[in-house]
Amino acid sequence: MAGALVQSIHRDPALFYWILFPISIVMVLTGVLRHYATVLLQTAPKKQGLPALREQRSLLRGINLRSNSSAVSSTAFAARRHYLVSAYKDGTFLKDPDNRGKPAGNPMTDPAAMEGMMGMMKGNMAMMIPQTLIMGWINAFFAGFVIMKLPFPLTIRFKSMLQSGVATRDLDVRWVSSLSWYFLNLFGLQSVFIFILGNDNAANQMAQQMSQMNPGAGAGLFQPGQDPDKMFQSEAENLEVVEHEYILKGVEDRLLASIE
Amino acid sequence: MSLSSLLRRSNLEALSLSQQTAQHLQKHASTGTSTIPIPLLSYPESTDIWLTYERLFLSCLRTGDDRAAFNCLEKLISRFGATNERVMGLRGLYQEAVAKDDATLERVLQEYEEVLAEDAVNTPVAKRRIALLQSLSRTTEAIDALTELLESSPTDIEAWTELAELYLSHNLFPQAVFCLEEVLLVAPNAWNIHAHLGEVLYISAMNGNENSEGKILAEATRRFCRSVELCDDYLRGYYGLKLTSDRLLSILPDDIKSTAQVTTVDNGELPMLSTAVVRRLSEQATLKLAEIIRTNNNSCDLAEITAAKDLLDRSTQRRQR
Repeated sequence: MAGALVQSIHRDPALFYWILFPISIVMVLTGVLRHYATVLLQTAPKKQGLPALREQRSLLRGINLRSNSSAVSSTAFAARRHYLVSAYKDGTFLKDPDNRGKPAGNPMTDPAAMEGMMGMMKGNMAMMIPQTLIMGWINAFFAGFVIMKLPFPLTIRFKSMLQSGVATRDLDVRWVSSLSWYFLNLFGLQSVFIFILGNDNAANQMAQQMSQMNPGAGAGLFQPGQDPDKMFQSEAENLEVVEHEYILKGVEDRLLASIE
Repeated sequence: MSLSSLLRRSNLEALSLSQQTAQHLQKHASTGTSTIPIPLLSYPESTDIWLTYERLFLSCLRTGDDRAAFNCLEKLISRFGATNERVMGLRGLYQEAVAKDDATLERVLQEYEEVLAEDAVNTPVAKRRIALLQSLSRTTEAIDALTELLESSPTDIEAWTELAELYLSHNLFPQAVFCLEEVLLVAPNAWNIHAHLGEVLYISAMNGNENSEGKILAEATRRFCRSVELCDDYLRGYYGLKLTSDRLLSILPDDIKSTAQVTTVDNGELPMLSTAVVRRLSEQATLKLAEIIRTNNNSCDLAEITAAKDLLDRSTQRRQR
């Protein structure tokens, strides 16, 4: 019986033209604006000095040696290990050897770290401010409107997603409220932005949130506040315990077995 | 890295790329020129476009179309600014290409040095300077500059490979081997580097003293084995395998057995290859080479195919005699 009964609400078609369209258009435009605002606010990543680069790459070299040690013969490996371990322990590669042993400074006082945080703040602001404004705008003008009906049935779980701002228990889930339409737009406009702005746009906030999950995945090994000397020491220990195996050992038999 | 991979392209490919340049420039005439890009009216900007420009630029330079190359370069400069590191490197490349005599090249070199004095981290320009030193045949200076570069960035495999080539040209084999091993430590599955290391070892065995020749040749053989293990039907690998194993057969006494394995494994050195294994390797390499030559469908370099044929002919002649 419940299936046969179709709820129908007589809506003014003006609702459609004066709420649904404005919200969608405003959302797209904000996305575009946000993209350009982020581009303008971006500061070029600060260039690292030569010592910092050396510090990073040298540590990376140790890691490479550890993980790919099988590629070289054991004599070559032993020589490299000896060199790297003693250099790591002496702190040869450190950016500023004078600071060895001192506790790492507060990241708040480090100007480089501050700059990074400012960049993140700017990105966040470019996202937060328009979101707050539009949310306020919709709440002030369109709160409580039911603006459209989805052409397919949904389960009751979607009620909170599609009917926020309309507190009725018996309304069919297929009806969408204006506030929910805003949320749907907020998360669902990704492909529209790709179409308008190209692939790597800053309009979409989902992508931004993703990048905040793991900041600096490729940016560098050193996070601000971490003591590079400690990292060198632990890498030296790691290197010392590596068990070396040469990949060329028995390669001729492997090869013959595979091609004969 | 993109630069070096591009240079490996065949001449034909480069030519066809550079012939597309005018077309491409026309098609994307509007990209990046207006200060405020209007969405939907212009092409959405993507990194691909600029990578294409870079590729076009390089292939134009290769095919001698300097004017088109200059157009591409201008596009890149107007987009990224003349102070962008990569663009600076490309600009230097252009200047080197159009330079008529050594005096002009010296001037370019001086420019590079000025840039580097201001900003020592500018890797593209540092690499251009090294390449220029090489083309001015001041290899020792180039080696010095390269070691300095590698001192500050020891994971740069492009630089390590280049340094290996330079050492090789000076017949400094242990140094070249060291450099190639560094490359392998970063990219352990690079079969071409494995084969190349085998080649270097082979050359050094030919030029070294008699005592260690067998040992180095065995190592070279194993390198080639690894290379073809990683990449089936790798012509260079099999060529080297054939070459080294034949050579090894000619100097090895007939009765080396694999019993030596137990005694020598302890100090980390690999045991000498047994004669039977070397003979089988050589046979397999001969078979494979013949097969590759027969089924060659223009995927390999013609010169390499010819060289392989030549090697097979020589070895059959020797056997008949």
